[in-house]
Amino acid sequence: MTRTASEWLDRIRHIDLPERVKIMNVCGGHERSISSAGIRGALPDQVELIPGPGCPVCICPEEDVYEAIHIALGEDVTLVTFGDMLRVPVNVPRREIRSLEQAKAAGADIRPIASPIEARAIALQNPDRDVVFFAAGFETTMAPVAAMLCEGVPDNLYVLLSGRLTWPAVAMLLESGDPGFDALIAPGHVSTVMGPEEWEFVVNDHQLPAAVSGFTSESLLAGMYSVLRQLTDGTPFLDNCYPDVVRPQGNRNARKHLDQAFEVYDATWRGIGIIPGSGYGLREAFASNDARVRYPGYSDESRKRVGEMPQGCDCASVVLGKIYPNQCRIYGIACTPRSPVGPCMVSEEGACRIWWASGVRDQDVA
Amino acid sequence: MCLAIPMKVMEVDGFEARCEAKGVERQVNLFMMQDETLETGDFVMVHVGYAIQKVTPQEAQSAWELFDQVLEAMDR
Repeated sequence: MTRTASEWLDRIRHIDLPERVKIMNVCGGHERSISSAGIRGALPDQVELIPGPGCPVCICPEEDVYEAIHIALGEDVTLVTFGDMLRVPVNVPRREIRSLEQAKAAGADIRPIASPIEARAIALQNPDRDVVFFAAGFETTMAPVAAMLCEGVPDNLYVLLSGRLTWPAVAMLLESGDPGFDALIAPGHVSTVMGPEEWEFVVNDHQLPAAVSGFTSESLLAGMYSVLRQLTDGTPFLDNCYPDVVRPQGNRNARKHLDQAFEVYDATWRGIGIIPGSGYGLREAFASNDARVRYPGYSDESRKRVGEMPQGCDCASVVLGKIYPNQCRIYGIACTPRSPVGPCMVSEEGACRIWWASGVRDQDVA
Repeated sequence: MCLAIPMKVMEVDGFEARCEAKGVERQVNLFMMQDETLETGDFVMVHVGYAIQKVTPQEAQSAWELFDQVLEAMDR
């Protein structure tokens, strides 16, 4: 039985809602659908939708971007990376190179790619040259990177891994005592790979309503209706509102590759700090394709102290769902998609970029 | 970045498939689909060139409609 978006909205309007309910999403794709379909404005006034940690580019550690820039500049290599990473700024003095884009302009061989398939193809076409694949992303993107490694890569392809798991960030928020949300819309494609079960802790350990949603208005509104009903009924459970795509246990084959290629470690999130069990690192078996083993001199421990968001930028609060994008002090003033300051305005998945693209121009700074 | 788009399988060759969406053809890697049987005419969700899940034609259709809406909104 499928309902239309307006039928879901009608059902939501008939719920006897509390004074204020805050629903968090943790996926840039969800936020894009919510913003472009105008779902926020269509919901009852009591319901707030807050974007949370849903952008892997935004939280990619500053020191990793710095490392990528300096490997590309300092070594005779081709560096490939997903296009979103090119404009992410690092915190350096004004005259220094502050992004992969600027490093490319300065002569480094840096190429945007859309798939690990391209990284492998470029390495195969250039057997006498090292190709460094700077790979940032959440589970959905890390699974193809793991599959690429498990399927077999040329000796001259080296992965500079900056992969992260989404659920530990939500767990950290919930364990902080001030999560800032009352219910969760869990990410659709992360769950496609990992299985919806990953999100059961939200319900079991924190008694918060949760639903996995897809990306159509119908699936998102079905998820919102579900968590609102769970909340008012006082019976939280993990609902799956994207069942055609999100299956129990997810994609087991993909998870097997993730497990074969990567180990999970306590990892840094830009502007946030270390989140336990939230990072993917290459296993020993893949050390011969590890860029950090090949080029060890570029990991600068001291940068971890300066690895914050750019000055004046509130991306860290935006990523954690503590403020809305237009509550940032520089949203739309010093920071626009044309000249972005923070990574949330750079990435297509960044909440600031999405809000700007959907027409939000006014600041809402308290 | 976790966006996946539905594509129709045109031809399977080992762990590779020629897939099509909206008239655009792409090579898609099937290495993560080893637990599934895929045939010409099936639909898969594709993320960064890799199929991550087999889907129904209905799900593919509703996802395409969504992308048209989102692209239209981005163009504004």
